[in-house]
Amino acid sequence: MTTVIQIEEVSFGYGSQRPVLSHISVGVPRGVFLAVVGANGVGKSTLLRIMSGLLRPRSGQVLLEGRELYSYGIRGIAQRIAVVRQEFVPAFGFSVLETVLMARTPGYGPLGFESKEDRALATKALEMTDTARFASRPLGALSAGERQRVFIARALAQNTPILLLDEPTSFLDLKHQVAIYDLLKSTQQQAGTTIVAVTHDLNLAAQYCDEALLLYPSAGEPKADAGLAANHRLGSVSEVLTPPEIQRAFGVQVFSGRIGRARFVMPLGARAKDADFSGRSG
Amino acid sequence: MHPPLTSRILLVRTAVAAMLLVAVMLACALIGPQDISLKSALGMTQSNAAPTPDHEILVRVRIPRVLLAAMVGAALAASGVVFQALLRNPLADPYILGVSSGAGLGAMIAVVGGLSWTLWGRSPIAVFAFAGALGTVWLVWGIGRITGRYQVTGLLLAGVVVNAFFSAMIMFLVSIAKSHQLYATLFWLMGNMTEEDFFVLWVGGGCITAGIIALFFLGPQLNIISVGHEDAQSIGVPVARIELAAFAVSAFITAVAVSLSGLVGFVGLIVPHAVRLLFGPDHRQLLPLSSLAGAMFLVIADTVARMVVAPAQLPVGVVTAMIGGPFFLLLLIRYSKRVYWPT
Repeated sequence: MTTVIQIEEVSFGYGSQRPVLSHISVGVPRGVFLAVVGANGVGKSTLLRIMSGLLRPRSGQVLLEGRELYSYGIRGIAQRIAVVRQEFVPAFGFSVLETVLMARTPGYGPLGFESKEDRALATKALEMTDTARFASRPLGALSAGERQRVFIARALAQNTPILLLDEPTSFLDLKHQVAIYDLLKSTQQQAGTTIVAVTHDLNLAAQYCDEALLLYPSAGEPKADAGLAANHRLGSVSEVLTPPEIQRAFGVQVFSGRIGRARFVMPLGARAKDADFSGRSG
Repeated sequence: MHPPLTSRILLVRTAVAAMLLVAVMLACALIGPQDISLKSALGMTQSNAAPTPDHEILVRVRIPRVLLAAMVGAALAASGVVFQALLRNPLADPYILGVSSGAGLGAMIAVVGGLSWTLWGRSPIAVFAFAGALGTVWLVWGIGRITGRYQVTGLLLAGVVVNAFFSAMIMFLVSIAKSHQLYATLFWLMGNMTEEDFFVLWVGGGCITAGIIALFFLGPQLNIISVGHEDAQSIGVPVARIELAAFAVSAFITAVAVSLSGLVGFVGLIVPHAVRLLFGPDHRQLLPLSSLAGAMFLVIADTVARMVVAPAQLPVGVVTAMIGGPFFLLLLIRYSKRVYWPT
């Protein structure tokens, strides 16, 4: 498998604050569904922003298909990478179709209107995400889950080989969480899209993702000896999302079990009913 | 709700609005404290030797004034649309980033300083107002850049604080101004149309028209920028460049408008809203329709300002607020079911 996004020795900090990320090196293989997991403030979203070119690292470099990411330019990056952020209600009442068509904006003709191909891509994205039914409704009139599907549709209409998502299911109920992950998985399988999703849902990640990147809380702290303690771990979900790793990343005791092919984890705090099961595996 | 916009729908609506504007301008040019007839104004009743008084009134008084109101209204409405999009805030207007207080301060300095020279036929008030407006926007934009590239809150707060600070300085200058200077100043601060000569109209109108047409081309990009800064960039829009261009052009046409007419309020806030409520939020359509509607609105408001207390005149800003406010509330109640405000 070739690597599409290569992050080499990347460090980043906001302003004069202590670095959020230091010396991260990650390669994202083509066609993989990668989960980025870790505690709050550990730099997951920052890493996603660096991968999408929205932020430039303080040091280190990001390669896209073997070439320096920023050398592609804003338009060039957008032709290869689409980004979905947490769902929100935009300030103005654009409809679902209008929102999805916006993905095609940079390619509009001199008169500022979409071509037939643009419209076809938008229609296809609406159908894939099952949002065509309410294409003419404003975003504010939808439920959070429907709205998130619209933002994913917009990213799909961008027609890119890479999709980055920042906590795509954080405010959604079980049904919609599963619907989003099914949609992402089918996109990965049908179109060969490389997907990187920041998530807090370890169990959905275990069920749907191929690989996981776990960022440890030390990720931001400059280390005396960078070689000794790694600040992140990348591997297949079954290797990475294990009780010891999760305890190290989140400082939480978990109970872990296996349904069939994937492992699940249940966090058990000191006051939980089954607290004495923590640290065990079923 | 709103059917998707096509270039055909856009063209038809813009053409209809433009024709409506011409009709409104013609009608308003014929209305005034002095009755004039179109026939005699066009010189059909007298020989061609000497222009009739009606002709003189129409050409030298009414037409310049109607043209001025139209271009000021168009400029304010267009830049209202742009400011609302860039700040992602439906409550923004062209004055929110300090254009008004900067212009006002410039005008007051010119008045209190007792300056009396002219520059290309413009009084020092207009020149200082123009410079004050642009200088202040530049200052606020700079502060906004320092406080955060992706956060509009810093920019908005900078605008609010600079507005408050400059307003205090305006009030200070008003307090020390001589009483004979105050009347003109008061009218200027409330927004007031006067009869300008054609040279000023050509230059001002040229700047404003060119600016508005330039903004039309940013319509599709403004759509995605109004959703989010990062959304726009990750879709492939060069956000920083587009934002700077849109800000610079709309601040410029607002400064031109303000230097011609003083601080006419309300147009830049309510016209974009009214058009958005009626026709949807797509900026490709919102910009041309708001410009034309803003022009119509200010032409009508100025006609009212000329008529209600004739032969005296009201500052047009009083009229825009008095008819604009209730009209806007009606629209809001009638159509708010179509628009979903962010919570």
